[in-house]
Amino acid sequence: MSGQLHTRLLSLVLVLIGLGIFAHKAINHNYPLVPDQTRTVWNLEVYIEFAADNRPVRVEAFLPARSEIRDVREEQFYSGPFGLRIIRTAENRNRKAIWTYRYPEGPKVLRYRTSLIEENRQTPLPAELYEQTERIDLPFESNLERQAFIVWLSNLRRQSADEESLVELTLQEIFSANLSDEVAALIPPLPGYLGRLELARQVLQSQGVPARVANGVYLDDARRRADTTSWLEYHVADRDRRYFPSGNPTRFFPIWYGTEELVEADGTSELSTQISLQPLRLAASSMVLDAADNNDVFLRLFTFDGLPLTTQLVYRVLLTIPVGILLLVFLRQFVGLQTLGTFMPVLIGIAFRETALLTGLILFIVLITLGLAMRFYLERLKLLLVPRLAVVLTFIVLCMAGITIFMADSGQRIGLSISLFPMVILTMTIERMSIVWEEYSPSEAIKQGLGSLAVASVAYLAMSNPNVEYLMFNFPELLLVIMGLCLMMGRYMGMRLSEISRFRHAAEKNVDP
Amino acid sequence: MSILDRIIGLRRNGVMGLNERNVRLVAELNPRRLMRLVNDKSVTKQLAQEANIPCPELIGLIRGSFGMRNLKDMLDREHGVAIKPANGSQGNGILVIMGPMKGGYRLANGRRILFEDLRFHVMNILSGMYSLGGLPDAALIEERVRFAGVFDQVSFKGVPDIRIIVVKGVPILAMLRLPTADSDGKANLHKGGVGVGLDLTTGVTRDGMQYDAIIDTHPDTANSLSGIQVPHWDEMLMMATRAYEVTGLGYLGADIVIDAEKGPLLLELNARPGLAIQIANRHGLRPHIEPVLNTDTSQMDAAERIAFGQEIYRSVHTEPQPEAA
Repeated sequence: MSGQLHTRLLSLVLVLIGLGIFAHKAINHNYPLVPDQTRTVWNLEVYIEFAADNRPVRVEAFLPARSEIRDVREEQFYSGPFGLRIIRTAENRNRKAIWTYRYPEGPKVLRYRTSLIEENRQTPLPAELYEQTERIDLPFESNLERQAFIVWLSNLRRQSADEESLVELTLQEIFSANLSDEVAALIPPLPGYLGRLELARQVLQSQGVPARVANGVYLDDARRRADTTSWLEYHVADRDRRYFPSGNPTRFFPIWYGTEELVEADGTSELSTQISLQPLRLAASSMVLDAADNNDVFLRLFTFDGLPLTTQLVYRVLLTIPVGILLLVFLRQFVGLQTLGTFMPVLIGIAFRETALLTGLILFIVLITLGLAMRFYLERLKLLLVPRLAVVLTFIVLCMAGITIFMADSGQRIGLSISLFPMVILTMTIERMSIVWEEYSPSEAIKQGLGSLAVASVAYLAMSNPNVEYLMFNFPELLLVIMGLCLMMGRYMGMRLSEISRFRHAAEKNVDP
Repeated sequence: MSILDRIIGLRRNGVMGLNERNVRLVAELNPRRLMRLVNDKSVTKQLAQEANIPCPELIGLIRGSFGMRNLKDMLDREHGVAIKPANGSQGNGILVIMGPMKGGYRLANGRRILFEDLRFHVMNILSGMYSLGGLPDAALIEERVRFAGVFDQVSFKGVPDIRIIVVKGVPILAMLRLPTADSDGKANLHKGGVGVGLDLTTGVTRDGMQYDAIIDTHPDTANSLSGIQVPHWDEMLMMATRAYEVTGLGYLGADIVIDAEKGPLLLELNARPGLAIQIANRHGLRPHIEPVLNTDTSQMDAAERIAFGQEIYRSVHTEPQPEAA
């Protein structure tokens, strides 16, 4: 039986490839297998408000930078009529959104929203920081300043034992309350601590210590108005460090690097920017992707990160469907459950996503009952098949609309989730059920209907499970495994569970005459 | 009986499940291009007639609503007609008319049906209500079979028929299918018909079954099911094995009825015959099929194949049960 061998080999290869990539990602890249629940996810929203008076407007705002060690996901932009471009600035690897509009009028609002994972002092800094090791020359206005600086620095060098203590001394000097004159002269004219941070960065860089000024938010509590603060990130003695001139945060998140403002705008008046933060303990934080090795071909090939957010959301659902199908195949081939139509239960299960299980079941039963009643009434009118189906379908839509309006009136939310409930599938189900009803028996029809509902519920539970969704979305190579399993089940020749009872009398010891 | 005992019993008796049937028999022995020959009853009928296998006379074939004009002429037969969807399955959509009566037609169950209702039924057939995948279909109008009275004691209104399973041209198992009040005049087992195992060598009935459970009397007439001699038995076996030559299908079920005047007639062929025959015969298919699958039957003629099948049947059913085939 070569078909048997062929199938087995093919399914084995598929399963091995799928599991291989899966294991490679999980083991070699520490790709988490379950949605992360230890680190907190925060919702960040930037709200920009301004007045426009018929002049071309250009608003630029920094967005949280994607880097090798972190991923910003689920970004949403509310741009209104504005054109939106996203650019990466070359020098600091910042990400910037640019909104433009030629002739806006009146008060305008722009919003940006994302989910991000908090960082703490142990969070490693991205490797790109080390690339900026070229020593820079400080801009001195006069030779006198240069002289003063060199004296100051060589003093520090003398007082320090190694690079680490040199950095500490430097920071202590720069951020001390009573500044020495030679240092004060060097501080660039920037608001708040930014000037001192920039000076510290320049000094550190000139000494060969990679450093940069980070701007971001401290994450301590949910707040409607969070302030941005700045700190220094540097790498010395093989360790990633941060220096916070103000406050002592345990959790924070850098948004952009450099000394620019978060939002810059042209052609506007009354510009105001508001940042709000909200902690979320989301199980489905798929953004835990430790992208440290994003150059790995398997990571790049089998990922949906590059797709637009809306497409990603679609694939989140799509990728779980094969899991439901796998279950359906199992229930049909191994258990022997009878269903109406081949994939109908899985489609109903997808519809349950919109409605949640209990509501979905109630809706399904109500609509099928109403539809069947209609179908039996139409039987008396002796209509042709296709027009009759059309009447039933229209009737179903009517019933759905009725239920929605009724539920909305009585303050229930059930009806509102009905949107995608598949009425064509419902119509075909009603037609099939009524044929079974008449040709066999009502009990057979109800039995098959309930079987379909049972499969639909199981499929829904599997498909909507956050772990399943996470696994399928982040490890799409598992589709190969599912394909392999289905292939194997395609050559399953054993008894179905239901047949063990069905053929019980053929199993008895024969007493032949 | 515990579930484990049951599984062991199923293995010992070589009972086959639907999965195994679909993979080992249907997929291996019935090429898809040949399925068409039996899915469409009008094609089957034509093939059978060419090969001189007797079957019920075709009165007319209605394709498309244009053919509906002749419906009334076709229905007005003194001895009644049967209306069938050409691509129907499992007996769905078959309507048997005993003959014309005042204001309409008489159905098999004695009730009256109006011409309008029949028209509607044929329309439904044409629009594909009973065909696989809902494709547009044709309706067959056949002479009604006036079945012989041999099974009157054990059938309740409708047409009893004989199902013979043929593997690679070798008849291996057979059963008599009897209509009941539940099955509404149809002999299909999943609709509540009674299946009675037949001794393949003699054509004598053995034990019966209904709804997958064992019975020994007919549920409506209360007469014993066993010990009835099926007439024309050898002729039937010949028809079934010839059906293999005509269609080339390696696994098929031949449904044969006995007409009072014309003798046995081939009603239809089935490329996916069901497995309930195992219950009716109290034995699995596997020990009957295995020897056939391991033999080249292409060189045998019809009589040799029948003898081969009967020999297998005898060895499986008279010797002490072989342990796990």
